Amino acid sequence: MAPQLALTPALAITLVGFVWAIGWTIYMSFTRSRRFPDYGIDPAGWLSQYQRLFGDDAWETSLRNLVVLAIGSALAIAFGFILAAMVEREKFGEGTFRTIFLYPLAVSLIVTGLVWRWMFNPSLGIEAFLHQLGWTSARFNWLATPETAMYGIILASIWHGLGFYMALMLAGLKSINTEIWSAARIDGVGIWRLYTGVIIPMMKFTFLTCAILLSLGVVKAYDIVVAMTNGGPGTSTWTPAYFAINAYSTRSNIGFASAAAVIMLLITLAIFLPLVLITAWQNRRREAAGT
Amino acid sequence: MRSELATNSVAAGSTAGNSAARARKRRFKGSSVAVFAFLCMCAAFVAIPLYVVIVTSFKPIEEITLGHIFALPVSWTITPWFKAWNTMCTGLSCDGIKSGFLTSIEILLPSLVLSIALSSVTGYALALWNVRWAGTFLFVLFICAFVPFQIIMIPLILVIANLGLFGTVWGIAIVHAILTMPLLTLIFRNFYKDIPRELINAAIMDSGGFWLIFRKIILPMSANIMVVVLILMITTVWNDYLVGLTFGGISAQPMTVILANAVVTSRGEVIHNVNMAAAIITAIPPLVVYFALGRFFVQGITAGAIKG
Repeated sequence: MAPQLALTPALAITLVGFVWAIGWTIYMSFTRSRRFPDYGIDPAGWLSQYQRLFGDDAWETSLRNLVVLAIGSALAIAFGFILAAMVEREKFGEGTFRTIFLYPLAVSLIVTGLVWRWMFNPSLGIEAFLHQLGWTSARFNWLATPETAMYGIILASIWHGLGFYMALMLAGLKSINTEIWSAARIDGVGIWRLYTGVIIPMMKFTFLTCAILLSLGVVKAYDIVVAMTNGGPGTSTWTPAYFAINAYSTRSNIGFASAAAVIMLLITLAIFLPLVLITAWQNRRREAAGT
Repeated sequence: MRSELATNSVAAGSTAGNSAARARKRRFKGSSVAVFAFLCMCAAFVAIPLYVVIVTSFKPIEEITLGHIFALPVSWTITPWFKAWNTMCTGLSCDGIKSGFLTSIEILLPSLVLSIALSSVTGYALALWNVRWAGTFLFVLFICAFVPFQIIMIPLILVIANLGLFGTVWGIAIVHAILTMPLLTLIFRNFYKDIPRELINAAIMDSGGFWLIFRKIILPMSANIMVVVLILMITTVWNDYLVGLTFGGISAQPMTVILANAVVTSRGEVIHNVNMAAAIITAIPPLVVYFALGRFFVQGITAGAIKG
Protein backbone atom coordinates (compact mmCIF):
# COMPACT_ATOMS: atom_id res chain seq x y z
CA MET A 1 0.00 0.00 0.00
CA ALA A 2 2.95 2.34 0.56
CA PRO A 3 3.29 3.45 -3.10
CA GLN A 4 -0.39 4.34 -3.30
CA LEU A 5 -0.13 6.19 -0.02
CA ALA A 6 2.91 8.10 -1.25
CA LEU A 7 1.03 9.15 -4.37
CA THR A 8 -1.93 10.55 -2.46
CA PRO A 9 -0.60 14.10 -2.00
CA ALA A 10 0.35 14.45 -5.66
CA LEU A 11 -2.97 13.01 -6.72
CA ALA A 12 -4.86 15.36 -4.41
CA ILE A 13 -2.91 18.35 -5.76
CA THR A 14 -3.63 17.31 -9.33
CA LEU A 15 -7.31 16.85 -8.65
CA VAL A 16 -7.83 20.00 -6.58
CA GLY A 17 -5.15 22.34 -7.89
CA PHE A 18 -5.54 21.52 -11.57
CA VAL A 19 -8.63 19.48 -12.50
CA TRP A 20 -11.08 21.10 -10.10
CA ALA A 21 -9.53 24.56 -10.49
CA ILE A 22 -9.70 24.43 -14.29
CA GLY A 23 -13.29 23.21 -14.14
CA TRP A 24 -14.16 25.98 -11.69
CA THR A 25 -12.69 28.65 -13.95
CA ILE A 26 -14.48 27.27 -17.00
CA TYR A 27 -17.76 27.27 -15.06
CA MET A 28 -17.16 30.83 -13.82
CA SER A 29 -16.75 32.02 -17.39
CA PHE A 30 -20.43 31.12 -17.94
CA THR A 31 -21.62 33.16 -14.97
CA ARG A 32 -21.80 36.86 -14.37
CA SER A 33 -19.54 36.77 -11.31
CA ARG A 34 -17.98 40.09 -10.54
CA ARG A 35 -15.88 40.70 -7.44
CA PHE A 36 -17.15 37.52 -5.76
CA PRO A 37 -18.05 34.19 -7.38
CA ASP A 38 -21.71 33.92 -8.35
CA TYR A 39 -22.73 30.35 -9.06
CA GLY A 40 -25.79 31.04 -11.22
CA ILE A 41 -25.40 30.82 -14.99
CA ASP A 42 -25.58 34.24 -16.60
CA PRO A 43 -29.27 34.89 -17.42
CA ALA A 44 -28.24 36.83 -20.51
CA GLY A 45 -26.92 33.57 -22.01
CA TRP A 46 -24.06 31.35 -20.91
CA LEU A 47 -21.71 32.71 -23.56
CA SER A 48 -22.31 36.36 -22.81
CA GLN A 49 -18.89 36.82 -21.11
CA TYR A 50 -17.29 35.57 -24.33
CA GLN A 51 -19.45 37.92 -26.42
CA ARG A 52 -18.28 40.82 -24.25
CA LEU A 53 -14.70 39.56 -24.45
CA PHE A 54 -14.61 39.43 -28.22
CA GLY A 55 -16.35 42.80 -28.41
CA ASP A 56 -13.56 44.32 -26.29
CA ASP A 57 -11.00 46.37 -28.21
CA ALA A 58 -8.26 45.62 -25.69
CA TRP A 59 -8.81 41.88 -26.15
CA GLU A 60 -8.53 42.28 -29.90
CA THR A 61 -5.27 44.15 -29.38
CA SER A 62 -4.09 41.40 -27.02
CA LEU A 63 -4.71 38.66 -29.57
CA ARG A 64 -3.00 40.66 -32.30
CA ASN A 65 -0.02 41.27 -30.03
CA LEU A 66 0.14 37.56 -29.29
CA VAL A 67 0.65 36.85 -32.99
CA VAL A 68 3.10 39.74 -33.43
CA LEU A 69 5.10 38.63 -30.41
CA ALA A 70 5.18 35.00 -31.59
CA ILE A 71 6.38 35.94 -35.08
CA GLY A 72 8.89 38.46 -33.75
CA SER A 73 10.36 36.19 -31.09
CA ALA A 74 10.69 33.41 -33.66
CA LEU A 75 13.83 35.31 -34.67
CA ALA A 76 15.31 33.97 -31.44
CA ILE A 77 14.95 30.44 -32.84
CA ALA A 78 16.53 31.40 -36.16
CA PHE A 79 19.43 33.19 -34.48
CA GLY A 80 19.65 30.42 -31.91
CA PHE A 81 20.26 27.94 -34.71
CA ILE A 82 22.79 30.13 -36.49
CA LEU A 83 24.67 30.73 -33.25
CA ALA A 84 24.57 27.05 -32.31
CA ALA A 85 25.96 26.08 -35.72
CA MET A 86 28.72 28.65 -35.37
CA VAL A 87 29.56 28.01 -31.73
CA GLU A 88 29.77 24.31 -32.43
CA ARG A 89 32.27 24.87 -35.24
CA GLU A 90 34.28 27.47 -33.40
CA LYS A 91 36.93 25.71 -31.40
CA PHE A 92 38.28 28.98 -30.12
CA GLY A 93 36.29 30.25 -27.16
CA GLU A 94 33.31 27.94 -27.41
CA GLY A 95 32.93 27.92 -23.63
CA THR A 96 33.11 31.70 -23.37
CA PHE A 97 30.49 32.27 -26.04
CA ARG A 98 28.23 29.71 -24.45
CA THR A 99 28.51 31.38 -21.06
CA ILE A 100 27.73 34.80 -22.53
CA PHE A 101 24.76 33.71 -24.62
CA LEU A 102 23.16 31.77 -21.79
CA TYR A 103 23.40 34.13 -18.85
CA PRO A 104 20.18 36.08 -19.64
CA LEU A 105 18.29 32.89 -18.81
CA ALA A 106 19.23 33.34 -15.18
CA VAL A 107 17.90 36.89 -15.14
CA SER A 108 14.22 37.34 -14.33
CA LEU A 109 11.94 38.85 -16.95
CA ILE A 110 11.19 41.73 -14.59
CA VAL A 111 14.87 42.67 -14.43
CA THR A 112 15.20 42.09 -18.19
CA GLY A 113 12.31 44.45 -18.82
CA LEU A 114 13.70 47.12 -16.51
CA VAL A 115 17.12 46.93 -18.10
CA TRP A 116 15.75 47.31 -21.63
CA ARG A 117 13.43 50.06 -20.50
CA TRP A 118 16.56 51.89 -19.42
CA MET A 119 18.25 51.24 -22.79
CA PHE A 120 15.18 52.63 -24.57
CA ASN A 121 15.11 55.79 -22.44
CA PRO A 122 15.05 58.58 -25.07
CA SER A 123 17.10 61.22 -23.28
CA LEU A 124 19.61 59.02 -21.47
CA GLY A 125 19.69 55.69 -23.30
CA ILE A 126 20.81 54.43 -26.70
CA GLU A 127 18.95 57.14 -28.60
CA ALA A 128 20.89 59.84 -26.79
CA PHE A 129 24.10 57.94 -27.48
CA LEU A 130 23.35 57.78 -31.22
CA HIS A 131 22.50 61.49 -31.27
CA GLN A 132 25.80 62.31 -29.61
CA LEU A 133 27.55 60.31 -32.32
CA GLY A 134 26.00 62.71 -34.81
CA TRP A 135 23.20 60.50 -36.07
CA THR A 136 20.50 62.93 -34.95
CA SER A 137 17.65 61.36 -36.91
CA ALA A 138 18.05 58.01 -35.11
CA ARG A 139 14.93 56.90 -33.27
CA PHE A 140 15.26 54.36 -30.52
CA ASN A 141 12.40 55.51 -28.30
CA TRP A 142 10.27 52.55 -29.34
CA LEU A 143 8.37 52.13 -26.09
CA ALA A 144 6.77 55.58 -26.27
CA THR A 145 4.68 55.06 -29.41
CA PRO A 146 1.92 52.41 -29.74
CA GLU A 147 3.14 51.36 -33.20
CA THR A 148 6.65 50.43 -32.08
CA ALA A 149 6.23 49.47 -28.40
CA MET A 150 5.66 45.81 -29.26
CA TYR A 151 8.98 45.73 -31.13
CA GLY A 152 10.71 46.85 -27.96
CA ILE A 153 9.16 43.96 -26.07
CA ILE A 154 10.13 41.58 -28.88
CA LEU A 155 13.74 42.76 -28.75
CA ALA A 156 13.91 42.19 -25.00
CA SER A 157 12.27 38.76 -25.37
CA ILE A 158 14.80 37.77 -27.99
CA TRP A 159 17.62 38.92 -25.74
CA HIS A 160 16.25 36.79 -22.93
CA GLY A 161 15.44 33.66 -24.96
CA LEU A 162 18.29 33.52 -27.46
CA GLY A 163 20.58 31.39 -25.31
CA PHE A 164 17.84 28.94 -24.47
CA TYR A 165 17.11 28.18 -28.12
CA MET A 166 20.81 28.04 -28.82
CA ALA A 167 21.20 25.41 -26.09
CA LEU A 168 18.37 23.32 -27.51
CA MET A 169 19.83 23.65 -31.02
CA LEU A 170 23.30 22.71 -29.80
CA ALA A 171 21.87 19.58 -28.23
CA GLY A 172 20.12 18.81 -31.51
CA LEU A 173 23.26 19.43 -33.58
CA LYS A 174 25.41 17.25 -31.37
CA SER A 175 23.01 14.33 -31.62
CA ILE A 176 23.43 14.26 -35.40
CA ASN A 177 25.33 11.26 -36.65
CA THR A 178 29.00 12.20 -36.94
CA GLU A 179 29.47 10.33 -40.23
CA ILE A 180 27.36 12.88 -42.05
CA TRP A 181 30.04 15.50 -41.63
CA SER A 182 32.80 13.36 -43.08
CA ALA A 183 30.53 12.06 -45.83
CA ALA A 184 29.73 15.62 -46.85
CA ARG A 185 33.44 16.43 -46.83
CA ILE A 186 34.32 13.54 -49.08
CA ASP A 187 31.48 14.34 -51.46
CA GLY A 188 32.62 17.95 -51.57
CA VAL A 189 29.24 19.32 -50.51
CA GLY A 190 29.38 23.05 -49.77
CA ILE A 191 28.66 24.31 -46.29
CA TRP A 192 25.47 26.12 -47.34
CA ARG A 193 24.03 23.06 -49.09
CA LEU A 194 25.07 20.87 -46.20
CA TYR A 195 23.09 22.93 -43.69
CA THR A 196 20.01 23.74 -45.79
CA GLY A 197 19.79 20.39 -47.53
CA VAL A 198 20.83 17.94 -44.83
CA ILE A 199 21.24 19.33 -41.33
CA ILE A 200 18.10 21.46 -41.03
CA PRO A 201 15.78 18.75 -42.39
CA MET A 202 17.37 16.31 -39.94
CA MET A 203 16.67 18.69 -37.09
CA LYS A 204 13.05 19.35 -37.91
CA PHE A 205 11.95 17.82 -34.64
CA THR A 206 14.21 20.18 -32.68
CA PHE A 207 12.86 23.14 -34.63
CA LEU A 208 9.31 22.07 -33.95
CA THR A 209 10.00 21.66 -30.23
CA CYS A 210 11.49 25.14 -30.15
CA ALA A 211 8.50 26.58 -32.00
CA ILE A 212 6.04 24.97 -29.61
CA LEU A 213 7.94 26.06 -26.52
CA LEU A 214 8.20 29.57 -27.90
CA SER A 215 4.46 29.71 -28.56
CA LEU A 216 3.67 28.46 -25.07
CA GLY A 217 6.00 31.07 -23.63
CA VAL A 218 4.34 33.80 -25.67
CA VAL A 219 0.89 32.85 -24.40
CA LYS A 220 2.25 33.30 -20.86
CA ALA A 221 3.96 36.64 -21.62
CA TYR A 222 3.12 38.86 -18.69
CA ASP A 223 6.18 39.85 -16.62
CA ILE A 224 8.04 41.34 -19.53
CA VAL A 225 5.05 43.49 -20.48
CA VAL A 226 4.63 44.77 -16.93
CA ALA A 227 8.30 45.60 -16.61
CA MET A 228 8.71 47.32 -19.97
CA THR A 229 5.49 49.18 -20.69
CA ASN A 230 2.91 48.10 -18.10
CA GLY A 231 0.58 47.56 -21.07
CA GLY A 232 1.03 51.04 -22.46
CA PRO A 233 0.99 53.35 -24.26
CA GLY A 234 -2.77 53.01 -23.80
CA THR A 235 -3.54 49.33 -24.25
CA SER A 236 -1.16 48.87 -27.17
CA THR A 237 1.09 46.22 -25.58
CA TRP A 238 -1.53 44.14 -23.79
CA THR A 239 -1.28 40.38 -24.18
CA PRO A 240 -3.95 37.79 -23.28
CA ALA A 241 -2.07 36.98 -20.07
CA TYR A 242 -1.98 40.66 -19.15
CA PHE A 243 -5.63 41.05 -20.08
CA ALA A 244 -6.74 38.17 -17.83
CA ILE A 245 -4.81 39.45 -14.80
CA ASN A 246 -6.04 42.97 -15.42
CA ALA A 247 -9.68 41.82 -15.68
CA TYR A 248 -9.30 40.16 -12.30
CA SER A 249 -7.21 42.63 -10.33
CA THR A 250 -8.15 46.00 -11.81
CA ARG A 251 -11.67 45.44 -13.13
CA SER A 252 -12.47 42.97 -10.28
CA ASN A 253 -14.49 40.85 -12.68
CA ILE A 254 -14.07 37.12 -12.06
CA GLY A 255 -16.43 36.04 -14.85
CA PHE A 256 -14.69 38.15 -17.45
CA ALA A 257 -11.18 37.15 -16.30
CA SER A 258 -12.22 33.50 -16.39
CA ALA A 259 -13.45 33.81 -19.97
CA ALA A 260 -10.08 35.30 -20.99
CA ALA A 261 -8.24 32.52 -19.12
CA VAL A 262 -10.33 29.86 -20.86
CA ILE A 263 -9.37 31.28 -24.26
CA MET A 264 -5.72 31.19 -23.12
CA LEU A 265 -6.18 27.53 -22.22
CA LEU A 266 -7.71 26.79 -25.62
CA ILE A 267 -4.79 28.49 -27.38
CA THR A 268 -2.35 26.49 -25.25
CA LEU A 269 -4.10 23.23 -26.07
CA ALA A 270 -4.10 24.07 -29.77
CA ILE A 271 -0.32 24.55 -29.59
CA PHE A 272 0.12 21.56 -27.33
CA LEU A 273 -1.74 19.01 -29.43
CA PRO A 274 0.97 18.69 -32.12
CA LEU A 275 3.55 18.10 -29.35
CA VAL A 276 1.52 15.21 -27.93
CA LEU A 277 1.13 13.67 -31.37
CA ILE A 278 4.81 14.07 -32.19
CA THR A 279 5.89 12.59 -28.86
CA ALA A 280 3.66 9.60 -29.49
CA TRP A 281 5.07 9.26 -33.02
CA GLN A 282 8.65 9.50 -31.77
CA ASN A 283 8.05 6.90 -29.09
CA ARG A 284 6.58 4.53 -31.64
CA ARG A 285 9.50 5.09 -33.97
CA ARG A 286 11.97 4.53 -31.16
CA GLU A 287 10.24 1.31 -30.17
CA ALA A 288 10.24 0.18 -33.80
CA ALA A 289 13.97 0.91 -34.00
CA GLY A 290 14.58 -0.93 -30.73
CA THR A 291 13.00 -4.22 -31.77
CA MET B 1 8.08 12.99 -22.74
CA ARG B 2 9.67 16.23 -23.77
CA SER B 3 11.75 16.87 -20.71
CA GLU B 4 13.22 13.43 -21.10
CA LEU B 5 14.22 14.23 -24.67
CA ALA B 6 15.92 17.42 -23.63
CA THR B 7 17.91 16.00 -20.72
CA ASN B 8 18.96 12.95 -22.68
CA SER B 9 20.13 14.86 -25.69
CA VAL B 10 22.02 17.38 -23.57
CA ALA B 11 23.78 14.59 -21.73
CA ALA B 12 24.60 12.75 -24.94
CA GLY B 13 25.64 15.90 -26.71
CA SER B 14 28.62 16.65 -24.54
CA THR B 15 30.41 13.43 -25.40
CA ALA B 16 29.64 12.78 -29.06
CA GLY B 17 31.25 14.02 -32.19
CA ASN B 18 34.71 15.22 -31.26
CA SER B 19 36.70 13.73 -34.10
CA ALA B 20 34.15 14.75 -36.67
CA ALA B 21 34.12 18.28 -35.30
CA ARG B 22 37.85 18.46 -35.82
CA ALA B 23 37.49 17.26 -39.41
CA ARG B 24 34.81 19.83 -40.07
CA LYS B 25 36.89 22.64 -38.74
CA ARG B 26 39.67 21.82 -41.15
CA ARG B 27 37.27 21.66 -44.05
CA PHE B 28 35.59 25.06 -43.58
CA LYS B 29 38.46 27.15 -42.29
CA GLY B 30 38.16 29.92 -44.86
CA SER B 31 35.15 31.72 -43.44
CA SER B 32 36.36 31.38 -39.87
CA VAL B 33 37.14 35.06 -39.35
CA ALA B 34 33.69 36.15 -40.50
CA VAL B 35 32.07 33.60 -38.22
CA PHE B 36 34.12 34.77 -35.27
CA ALA B 37 33.22 38.39 -35.98
CA PHE B 38 29.53 37.54 -36.17
CA LEU B 39 29.71 35.63 -32.89
CA CYS B 40 31.42 38.58 -31.24
CA MET B 41 28.69 40.93 -32.45
CA CYS B 42 25.97 38.70 -31.05
CA ALA B 43 27.90 38.31 -27.80
CA ALA B 44 28.06 42.10 -27.56
CA PHE B 45 24.30 42.35 -28.04
CA VAL B 46 23.80 39.92 -25.18
CA ALA B 47 26.51 41.29 -22.89
CA ILE B 48 26.01 45.04 -23.30
CA PRO B 49 22.83 45.36 -21.20
CA LEU B 50 24.61 43.78 -18.22
CA TYR B 51 27.58 46.11 -18.71
CA VAL B 52 25.32 49.16 -18.98
CA VAL B 53 23.38 48.28 -15.85
CA ILE B 54 26.50 47.69 -13.77
CA VAL B 55 28.15 50.87 -15.01
CA THR B 56 25.00 52.93 -14.42
CA SER B 57 24.62 51.65 -10.88
CA PHE B 58 28.06 53.04 -9.98
CA LYS B 59 27.56 56.49 -11.51
CA PRO B 60 26.48 59.55 -9.57
CA ILE B 61 23.20 60.97 -10.88
CA GLU B 62 24.88 64.05 -12.43
CA GLU B 63 26.90 61.80 -14.69
CA ILE B 64 23.83 59.87 -15.78
CA THR B 65 22.01 63.00 -16.91
CA LEU B 66 24.81 63.64 -19.41
CA GLY B 67 23.49 60.63 -21.33
CA HIS B 68 26.78 58.78 -21.94
CA ILE B 69 25.16 55.42 -21.39
CA PHE B 70 28.17 53.33 -22.43
CA ALA B 71 30.85 55.37 -20.67
CA LEU B 72 32.56 54.16 -17.54
CA PRO B 73 31.86 56.22 -14.42
CA VAL B 74 34.22 59.18 -14.04
CA SER B 75 33.86 59.16 -10.28
CA TRP B 76 32.75 55.79 -8.96
CA THR B 77 30.19 55.78 -6.17
CA ILE B 78 28.61 53.00 -4.16
CA THR B 79 25.82 55.09 -2.64
CA PRO B 80 23.17 53.93 -5.16
CA TRP B 81 23.66 50.39 -3.89
CA PHE B 82 23.12 51.44 -0.27
CA LYS B 83 20.10 53.51 -1.25
CA ALA B 84 18.61 50.61 -3.21
CA TRP B 85 19.09 48.30 -0.25
CA ASN B 86 18.04 50.65 2.56
CA THR B 87 16.01 53.68 1.50
CA MET B 88 14.55 53.15 -1.96
CA CYS B 89 10.83 53.97 -2.17
CA THR B 90 8.69 51.01 -3.13
CA GLY B 91 5.01 51.84 -3.32
CA LEU B 92 4.00 53.08 0.13
CA SER B 93 7.16 52.73 2.19
CA CYS B 94 10.72 53.87 1.68
CA ASP B 95 12.88 51.23 3.26
CA GLY B 96 14.60 49.72 0.27
CA ILE B 97 14.47 46.26 -1.19
CA LYS B 98 16.07 44.49 1.77
CA SER B 99 12.69 43.38 3.10
CA GLY B 100 11.91 41.90 -0.32
CA PHE B 101 15.20 40.03 -0.24
CA LEU B 102 14.29 38.41 3.06
CA THR B 103 10.76 37.63 1.86
CA SER B 104 12.15 36.01 -1.27
CA ILE B 105 14.40 33.79 0.84
CA GLU B 106 11.52 32.94 3.16
CA ILE B 107 9.50 31.91 0.11
CA LEU B 108 12.35 30.06 -1.57
CA LEU B 109 13.32 27.70 1.26
CA PRO B 110 9.89 26.16 1.99
CA SER B 111 9.11 25.98 -1.75
CA LEU B 112 12.30 24.01 -2.33
CA VAL B 113 11.63 21.57 0.50
CA LEU B 114 7.95 21.10 -0.30
CA SER B 115 8.25 20.67 -4.03
CA ILE B 116 11.35 18.48 -4.05
CA ALA B 117 10.07 16.18 -1.30
CA LEU B 118 6.71 15.84 -3.00
CA SER B 119 7.96 15.40 -6.56
CA SER B 120 10.85 13.06 -5.86
CA VAL B 121 8.66 10.63 -3.89
CA THR B 122 5.92 10.81 -6.52
CA GLY B 123 8.38 10.33 -9.35
CA TYR B 124 9.96 7.37 -7.54
CA ALA B 125 6.59 5.70 -6.91
CA LEU B 126 5.51 6.17 -10.52
CA ALA B 127 8.80 4.99 -11.99
CA LEU B 128 9.66 1.93 -9.95
CA TRP B 129 6.50 0.59 -8.35
CA ASN B 130 3.60 -1.02 -10.12
CA VAL B 131 0.88 1.54 -9.90
CA ARG B 132 -2.12 0.65 -12.00
CA TRP B 133 -3.04 4.04 -13.45
CA ALA B 134 0.54 5.35 -13.66
CA GLY B 135 0.36 5.97 -17.43
CA THR B 136 -2.83 7.99 -17.20
CA PHE B 137 -1.53 9.96 -14.26
CA LEU B 138 1.69 10.81 -16.09
CA PHE B 139 -0.27 11.99 -19.10
CA VAL B 140 -2.43 14.23 -16.92
CA LEU B 141 0.71 15.63 -15.25
CA PHE B 142 2.20 16.26 -18.68
CA ILE B 143 -0.79 18.41 -19.60
CA CYS B 144 -0.84 20.13 -16.19
CA ALA B 145 2.78 21.17 -16.70
CA PHE B 146 1.70 23.27 -19.68
CA VAL B 147 -1.53 24.95 -18.61
CA PRO B 148 -1.37 28.72 -18.22
CA PHE B 149 -1.34 29.93 -14.63
CA GLN B 150 -4.34 32.22 -15.20
CA ILE B 151 -6.71 29.28 -15.64
CA ILE B 152 -6.14 28.07 -12.07
CA MET B 153 -5.23 31.38 -10.42
CA ILE B 154 -8.60 32.55 -9.10
CA PRO B 155 -9.73 29.26 -7.53
CA LEU B 156 -6.29 28.85 -5.95
CA ILE B 157 -6.57 32.33 -4.47
CA LEU B 158 -9.91 31.32 -2.93
CA VAL B 159 -8.45 28.10 -1.52
CA ILE B 160 -5.36 29.80 -0.10
CA ALA B 161 -7.48 32.61 1.36
CA ASN B 162 -9.81 30.07 3.00
CA LEU B 163 -6.81 28.36 4.56
CA GLY B 164 -5.84 31.74 5.99
CA LEU B 165 -2.57 31.71 4.05
CA PHE B 166 -3.21 34.56 1.63
CA GLY B 167 -0.53 37.21 1.95
CA THR B 168 1.91 34.92 3.75
CA VAL B 169 5.15 33.41 2.53
CA TRP B 170 3.71 29.96 3.19
CA GLY B 171 0.80 30.62 0.86
CA ILE B 172 3.20 31.59 -1.93
CA ALA B 173 5.46 28.60 -1.22
CA ILE B 174 2.51 26.20 -1.38
CA VAL B 175 1.36 27.68 -4.68
CA HIS B 176 4.89 27.29 -6.08
CA ALA B 177 4.95 23.68 -4.93
CA ILE B 178 1.61 23.06 -6.67
CA LEU B 179 2.66 24.78 -9.89
CA THR B 180 6.02 23.03 -10.18
CA MET B 181 4.85 19.58 -9.03
CA PRO B 182 3.85 18.23 -12.49
CA LEU B 183 7.09 19.18 -14.22
CA LEU B 184 9.39 18.12 -11.37
CA THR B 185 7.58 14.81 -11.03
CA LEU B 186 8.11 14.13 -14.73
CA ILE B 187 11.80 14.99 -14.42
CA PHE B 188 12.30 12.72 -11.40
CA ARG B 189 10.28 9.93 -12.96
CA ASN B 190 12.34 10.06 -16.16
CA PHE B 191 15.51 9.87 -14.10
CA TYR B 192 14.38 7.02 -11.84
CA LYS B 193 12.85 4.87 -14.57
CA ASP B 194 16.34 3.98 -15.85
CA ILE B 195 17.21 2.32 -12.55
CA PRO B 196 17.02 -1.44 -13.18
CA ARG B 197 13.92 -3.11 -11.76
CA GLU B 198 16.05 -6.05 -10.56
CA LEU B 199 17.73 -3.75 -8.08
CA ILE B 200 14.38 -2.86 -6.54
CA ASN B 201 13.14 -6.44 -6.65
CA ALA B 202 16.28 -7.63 -4.86
CA ALA B 203 15.79 -4.94 -2.25
CA ILE B 204 12.18 -6.01 -1.74
CA MET B 205 13.38 -9.60 -1.26
CA ASP B 206 15.72 -8.23 1.34
CA SER B 207 12.58 -7.10 3.17
CA GLY B 208 13.05 -3.48 2.19
CA GLY B 209 9.88 -1.41 2.15
CA PHE B 210 8.89 1.50 -0.04
CA TRP B 211 10.38 4.19 2.19
CA LEU B 212 13.45 2.22 3.23
CA ILE B 213 14.40 1.63 -0.42
CA PHE B 214 13.84 5.29 -1.18
CA ARG B 215 16.06 6.37 1.67
CA LYS B 216 18.84 3.80 1.38
CA ILE B 217 19.07 3.20 -2.36
CA ILE B 218 17.28 5.86 -4.39
CA LEU B 219 18.25 9.04 -2.57
CA PRO B 220 22.01 8.29 -2.57
CA MET B 221 21.78 7.82 -6.36
CA SER B 222 19.97 11.10 -6.90
CA ALA B 223 22.70 13.69 -6.32
CA ASN B 224 22.91 14.68 -9.99
CA ILE B 225 19.22 15.10 -10.61
CA MET B 226 18.80 16.89 -7.27
CA VAL B 227 21.29 19.56 -8.33
CA VAL B 228 19.54 20.00 -11.67
CA VAL B 229 16.13 20.31 -10.02
CA LEU B 230 17.46 22.58 -7.30
CA ILE B 231 18.84 24.99 -9.89
CA LEU B 232 15.61 24.91 -11.86
CA MET B 233 13.59 25.62 -8.73
CA ILE B 234 15.86 28.39 -7.44
CA THR B 235 15.68 30.29 -10.73
CA THR B 236 11.94 29.68 -11.14
CA VAL B 237 10.96 30.72 -7.64
CA TRP B 238 13.40 33.57 -7.24
CA ASN B 239 12.56 35.06 -10.64
CA ASP B 240 8.82 34.59 -10.26
CA TYR B 241 6.72 37.72 -10.35
CA LEU B 242 3.14 36.68 -11.02
CA VAL B 243 2.63 34.27 -8.10
CA GLY B 244 4.21 36.69 -5.66
CA LEU B 245 2.05 39.49 -7.00
CA THR B 246 -1.25 37.63 -6.85
CA PHE B 247 -0.73 35.66 -3.62
CA GLY B 248 1.53 37.96 -1.62
CA GLY B 249 -1.03 40.68 -0.98
CA ILE B 250 0.76 43.62 0.56
CA SER B 251 2.41 41.76 3.42
CA ALA B 252 4.53 39.14 1.61
CA GLN B 253 5.94 40.73 -1.50
CA PRO B 254 8.99 39.00 -2.97
CA MET B 255 11.87 40.98 -4.39
CA THR B 256 10.67 41.02 -7.99
CA VAL B 257 7.35 42.54 -6.95
CA ILE B 258 9.04 45.17 -4.80
CA LEU B 259 11.42 46.01 -7.63
CA ALA B 260 8.61 46.33 -10.18
CA ASN B 261 6.63 48.51 -7.77
CA ALA B 262 9.57 50.76 -7.22
CA VAL B 263 10.47 51.22 -10.86
CA VAL B 264 7.29 50.73 -12.89
CA THR B 265 4.32 51.76 -10.84
CA SER B 266 5.64 54.33 -8.40
CA ARG B 267 4.93 57.88 -9.44
CA GLY B 268 7.75 59.52 -7.54
CA GLU B 269 11.06 60.83 -8.78
CA VAL B 270 12.93 58.28 -10.91
CA ILE B 271 16.46 57.72 -9.67
CA HIS B 272 18.10 55.69 -12.39
CA ASN B 273 21.28 54.63 -10.66
CA VAL B 274 19.38 53.39 -7.60
CA ASN B 275 16.93 51.51 -9.82
CA MET B 276 19.76 49.82 -11.68
CA ALA B 277 21.49 48.85 -8.43
CA ALA B 278 18.21 47.35 -7.20
CA ALA B 279 17.84 45.43 -10.46
CA ILE B 280 21.32 43.93 -10.08
CA ILE B 281 20.77 43.00 -6.45
CA THR B 282 17.58 41.19 -7.49
CA ALA B 283 19.38 39.38 -10.30
CA ILE B 284 22.49 38.38 -8.31
CA PRO B 285 21.36 35.13 -6.61
CA PRO B 286 20.35 33.25 -9.79
CA LEU B 287 23.35 34.70 -11.64
CA VAL B 288 25.67 33.34 -8.94
CA VAL B 289 24.02 29.95 -9.34
CA TYR B 290 24.49 30.21 -13.09
CA PHE B 291 28.16 31.11 -13.02
CA ALA B 292 28.93 28.58 -10.28
CA LEU B 293 27.06 25.62 -11.74
CA GLY B 294 26.87 26.38 -15.44
CA ARG B 295 26.76 22.82 -16.72
CA PHE B 296 23.93 21.73 -14.46
CA PHE B 297 22.20 25.02 -15.10
CA VAL B 298 21.86 24.30 -18.81
CA GLN B 299 20.50 20.85 -18.05
CA GLY B 300 18.07 22.27 -15.55
CA ILE B 301 16.79 24.95 -17.86
CA THR B 302 16.39 22.62 -20.83
CA ALA B 303 14.73 20.02 -18.62
CA GLY B 304 12.44 22.75 -17.39
CA ALA B 305 11.87 23.97 -20.91
CA ILE B 306 8.18 23.63 -20.40
CA LYS B 307 8.19 26.46 -17.91
CA GLY B 308 8.94 28.82 -20.77
